[in-house]
Amino acid sequence: MTIHAQPVDTHAELEPSAASEPSALKTLTAPFSAFGSDLYGLYTLLKQTLQAIARGQVDRESLVAQCYSVGNGSVLFITVTMTVLGMIMVVQSGLQTQRVIPELSLLGANIIQLLAREFAPTVCAMMLATRVGAGIAAEIGSMVVTDQVDALRMSGAQPVAYLVVPRFIACVVMLTALTFWSLFVALVAGTFAANTVFDLNVSTFINFSFVGMSDYVVMILKAVVFGMAIPIVSSQRGLTTFGGSEGVGWATTNAVVHSSVAILLLDLLLSIFGYLVFPPL
Amino acid sequence: MSETVRSETPFGLIVPERMGKAVLGIAEQVGGMGVLTGQLVARMLPPRIDRFELIRNMHKMGVRSVGIVSSTALFTGGTIIIQAAPLVVRFGATAIIGWAAGFAMLREVAPLLIALMFSGRVGANNTAELGTMVVTDQLDALRALAIDPISYLILPRVISMIVMLFALNVIGDLVALTGAVIGANALLDVDFALFMDSFLTMLEAWDFVLSMIKSLAFGVMIAITSCYFGLTVTGGAPGVGRAVNSSVVAAAIGIFVMDYFSTFVLK
Amino acid sequence: MILLRNVSLRLKGAQVLRNINLEIPPGGVFALIGPGASGKSLLFKVITGLLRPDEGDVHVDGDCLTGLGDIELGPIRRKIGMLFQNYALFDHMSVYENIAFPLRRLFNYSEEQIAQIVAERLHRVSLPGFQDRFPPGLSGGQKKRVGIARATAQRAPIILYDEPTAGLDPVNSQKIYDLIRDEQRAQGTTAVVISSDVAGLLTVADRVAMMHRGELLFAGTTAHAQRSGHAAVNQFVHGLTEGPL
Repeated sequence: MTIHAQPVDTHAELEPSAASEPSALKTLTAPFSAFGSDLYGLYTLLKQTLQAIARGQVDRESLVAQCYSVGNGSVLFITVTMTVLGMIMVVQSGLQTQRVIPELSLLGANIIQLLAREFAPTVCAMMLATRVGAGIAAEIGSMVVTDQVDALRMSGAQPVAYLVVPRFIACVVMLTALTFWSLFVALVAGTFAANTVFDLNVSTFINFSFVGMSDYVVMILKAVVFGMAIPIVSSQRGLTTFGGSEGVGWATTNAVVHSSVAILLLDLLLSIFGYLVFPPL
Repeated sequence: MSETVRSETPFGLIVPERMGKAVLGIAEQVGGMGVLTGQLVARMLPPRIDRFELIRNMHKMGVRSVGIVSSTALFTGGTIIIQAAPLVVRFGATAIIGWAAGFAMLREVAPLLIALMFSGRVGANNTAELGTMVVTDQLDALRALAIDPISYLILPRVISMIVMLFALNVIGDLVALTGAVIGANALLDVDFALFMDSFLTMLEAWDFVLSMIKSLAFGVMIAITSCYFGLTVTGGAPGVGRAVNSSVVAAAIGIFVMDYFSTFVLK
Repeated sequence: MILLRNVSLRLKGAQVLRNINLEIPPGGVFALIGPGASGKSLLFKVITGLLRPDEGDVHVDGDCLTGLGDIELGPIRRKIGMLFQNYALFDHMSVYENIAFPLRRLFNYSEEQIAQIVAERLHRVSLPGFQDRFPPGLSGGQKKRVGIARATAQRAPIILYDEPTAGLDPVNSQKIYDLIRDEQRAQGTTAVVISSDVAGLLTVADRVAMMHRGELLFAGTTAHAQRSGHAAVNQFVHGLTEGPL
């Protein structure tokens, strides 16, 4: 038996962290460098997730469970919110249009196009960011603080492949499906509102003349991109949790907020892209 | 711990049972929130508030949210312009883009989105903090020291959230307006003067007031739901996570429903 | 056989492991003791590759861990079973699934073999028939024992136990220590155990290493530790209130 202990001074203090000189440059650039390293972290996670998918490391059982949780779990929530949204859109637009032009025959056509290009994908994604994003960060975050993620690694499972990939695929697929559903629900609700509030009959309102292929392309593109953003941002917040239940709370909060901001920013960029590349009729 | 006894539900009754449970669950939550509201109102007359807690919360909730709200508002302003652009081009209505963007923003989009972002950031965080306090017995510790948690802890938070959302809404409206002006200029060659012309002449003061009333209502909704879900946490760290999830979802639904009713009530 | 050479680690600005040189020979129960936050759990994470040291290298059973990614560490992790400090059971899986999980991922057992192993393990930790229970419904002691079942199911040559008796009453604690020693003797494995319950642990340990503030103060046989002239070691081993700690 060999003894390899080093003789040490038991009163040695733990080395204090290197004192950094206060620097104006550091303080000013700190938020940007934090944002930059954050973006890099998100980019890395996205890359790892796509690589894992390419390698076929998809846990089928987990994927089905996630699809169910994201899809079925959110359907009711989305239906309620989109019904309300559809009705509000019609009533608000109708009231304001009446101040300018007395007749509302094109109300339906315009609203449907707006729904397809903008409101259905975006509001659906925002709602999902709230519900699913918080859920993902909470689940993964509590696994991190209770060492379950380390236990996964010890058992030969990679956290990204095992935890992130199923949620990623589920979100992309389900958000796209839910976006179509949202469009439908809002349309039905809007038609009902147009009929009851403005006496517009159904055939006048349901007018798809302004909606073309390009609008559907933009809608699907947005749904897919948002569907990728939500799980990546939320998983990243979950995987970098520390600090017990308070840490989990922070991770959840940040997941919801950062996913939402990401959606709005991506929405702006995709809308610009859509406007320039697929000009609306 | 003993095994839980599972009773077998006949197959045909599974769906109604689930629906029944869901309805009862929602009823319990709504009732609980009502009770909380009552308790808060009772402590407001006469007002008993810890001033330090109030200011601390206002700072935390308001000042720290300005960044998020501003970015949201800026992106939203730009997006509204882009979405309104085809309509404007279609009807040749560049002269009224200021009004078109303005009404959408003030009456609907700004209060709604800012409330949702606020719920996500402040509401969720509040639930998490309160939840952690419950799980670590801090609330019981307060009670043991004869301090009423509702007036010491909850009331300042509720008031801060309502006041701050209101203030953030004002800021958000201005920033969104800026975003819209920039967007209109960049995309539709509409200059500032033209934009503001239709904005100021065709929109009424009432539209702005409506925006403010909505944000107050949303503030109340977010405050009550986030505090309720925080206070009723069970089950350690995963329980806190679940409570945050429930709180943001409930707040979002509440905001939408309120928005709907306000649309009809406040024409 | 585990070998750490000049291992140092910094976390969040603090030096949590300093120049650790430690050799854990194969076979026997090896106790790792020390006051709180001395770096013992972190040492486990370095040994299993869950954390990478800033300096130095780690060898497990002849393989060097330096520079290996999670995927490459697979074969090495197969040789190590670990009981985590907070048992780290997967909440969304049953007890059966928890124990079966590493077996399925790291090995090629058939389902029947896995069922046999799980049943045998649960019997060994005195939890027969618990296969379909879920972690949230178990007591702390039960969760610990499921964790031990999971850690030992792999029949790995090295098993790391992080605080196997924390929160347990003295009788159950001793039972766990006896279980650890019996397992070690029956399988001829190396068991490394972290515990704050020094007295209980030393009843079954063959060798001891003591850490303090990220440094290794002592490593030797249990007998040596109990007769140590080193002030801090002596104080800690005998649970004295006076001394340098």
